[in-house]
Amino acid sequence: MRKEPVLFFSPIRLRRSVACLTCALVASACDRTRTPRATALELDDFADTVRTDTRALRIVSLSPVTTEILFALGAGNRVVGRTHWDLYPDAARAVTDVGNGMQPNVEAVLGLRPDLVVLYASNANRGAAKQLHTAGIATLAVRMDHIADFRRTVILLARAIGDTPAGNRLADSVERSVGAVRARPRPAVPPTVFWFIWESPLYTIGRNSFMSELVEVAGARNIFADLDAVSPQVTREEIVKRNPDFILTGPENAPKLRASPAWQAVPAVRAGRILVVDTTLVGRPGVRLGEAARHLRALVLHDTLR
Amino acid sequence: MRPRVWFVLVCGVLLAALAGLALGPVRLSPADAWAALWGAGDTNAVAIVRTLRLPRIALGLVVGAGLGMSGAALQATLRNALAEPYLLGVSGGAAVGAVLGVTLHLTASWVQPLAAFIGAAASVTLVLLVARAAGARGDPRVLLMAGVVVGAFANAAIMVLLAGAPDETVRGAIWWMMGSLGDATWTGTRWVALYVGAGGALVLAMAREIELLSLGEDPAAALGVEVERATRRVYLIASLLAAVTVAGAGLVGFVGLMVPAIVRALGARTVRSTIAGAAIAGGALVVAADVMARVIASPAELPLGAVTALIGVPFFLVRLRRMA
Repeated sequence: MRKEPVLFFSPIRLRRSVACLTCALVASACDRTRTPRATALELDDFADTVRTDTRALRIVSLSPVTTEILFALGAGNRVVGRTHWDLYPDAARAVTDVGNGMQPNVEAVLGLRPDLVVLYASNANRGAAKQLHTAGIATLAVRMDHIADFRRTVILLARAIGDTPAGNRLADSVERSVGAVRARPRPAVPPTVFWFIWESPLYTIGRNSFMSELVEVAGARNIFADLDAVSPQVTREEIVKRNPDFILTGPENAPKLRASPAWQAVPAVRAGRILVVDTTLVGRPGVRLGEAARHLRALVLHDTLR
Repeated sequence: MRPRVWFVLVCGVLLAALAGLALGPVRLSPADAWAALWGAGDTNAVAIVRTLRLPRIALGLVVGAGLGMSGAALQATLRNALAEPYLLGVSGGAAVGAVLGVTLHLTASWVQPLAAFIGAAASVTLVLLVARAAGARGDPRVLLMAGVVVGAFANAAIMVLLAGAPDETVRGAIWWMMGSLGDATWTGTRWVALYVGAGGALVLAMAREIELLSLGEDPAAALGVEVERATRRVYLIASLLAAVTVAGAGLVGFVGLMVPAIVRALGARTVRSTIAGAAIAGGALVVAADVMARVIASPAELPLGAVTALIGVPFFLVRLRRMA
């Protein structure tokens, strides 16, 4: 579990927050049309302050996960922009597509006149967040690397739309369904899996990816769970050495694995133990985490459970 | 060249190949690696050695041979010890050709080297035109500058070709441009070997003309060489050799620079022996660099082009100082 509570102040951050608060007070004092009121302060994953006393009405959501959470919170009608890859739920497809979510096209985002832009808290997005602030637009940057990040992301978004109870309900329900999969009986010796993300260079997932956590929840073990990187680069030799029981991969990669001569060095590939994962379901730590865990469990324990 | 030198070169290539078999992310003793090579012992070791390491070594040997011969021929013809396909923009042009081929879905093992060759030939023509525009075709500095500029242009062209391509394609293409033997297969290696063999035969057949060209244009003409035509031919063959290696393993720089110098330092005096020696030494160097690429950051893998550049750039600087 993440140890940081939603509200916390480290000395540096406190100073920054005080500065922000002062700025906000000065700004509102100058602006006579607005009455100054106490600002509820939150820190997002860029350690930027987020105002939660106003309800965001025009939201651009720049990650598939936050888009599906906003829809699940019943705020889908307030989402005015999304990335090219936000295709769940179906209703999200009707929202304007602004292209990339990493290093987004800030002009396209501004064109939608949002009052809140939700970003994935990656360093690649810091520039965009700064530009949006300069343009006077609030941003909410959230990190979504672990299953445990889900609750925090949901609560932050729920506060931004002014419906914290809905956030609690959603987070509870998703955590319950993940917990239910975790609690089910599992084999004494968990099957080992290698998660194939991309070829050249060869990438997999490490301990700090929610996908690795999902593998554990499903009752299996990621052979690269000892590596810290979220998506570490590895070599085929190392895979042969660690000799996984199964290869997990998306539908577009499975035929490539089967056809490639070099991959025949991996015993699981030779034996055809390639499990095709629904990547649209499992590839993001969103509202369907429980469903994703059940899907993985059905795949990796299929033989064992029979 | 004395037999002792050939002996040193052959020993070098054998050592590099043995290291390539035994070293890697998975540690195998030389004895285990040797047994695995013949299919004996642990099945995993056999899979690693025969399916993963052996094709890499084979591809490394032919890629190194191509780069070494290309560099040796260019250095002699241009009378410039700093000439090599990467610095002359030839490899960059080849990469544009190969990437263009991929975007046009021409990905067969035998087509890719040809697409790369077309790009390489175009860029070598461009480099010579740029150098001629500067009015000093023979000036090594102008030629290198033209090569670097054309290389930058090629880089830009690739970025344009990749704009709008899916993320995975871009990542893959950039990885490939940094050079790697990681995707070596026997089919691909066979085609690269065939083209390198053909180019090598052509360049060795021209060894006498190159030798005369290396004396200077006027002496060569006086000795009966059709300078323009012969020079053009050498460029084309050197481009073919370099382009084929680019199609097989991406951009691997500085091998063509270092290898002829090493061979000459070992005692090669004639152009013919330099080219032949460079073929062997180039293979040894690329295989050795690939071993480093696999071992240094294990379990991750470094790009081969990064390793050769880390060795090659200091080498280049030393030579540059000596020239000045």
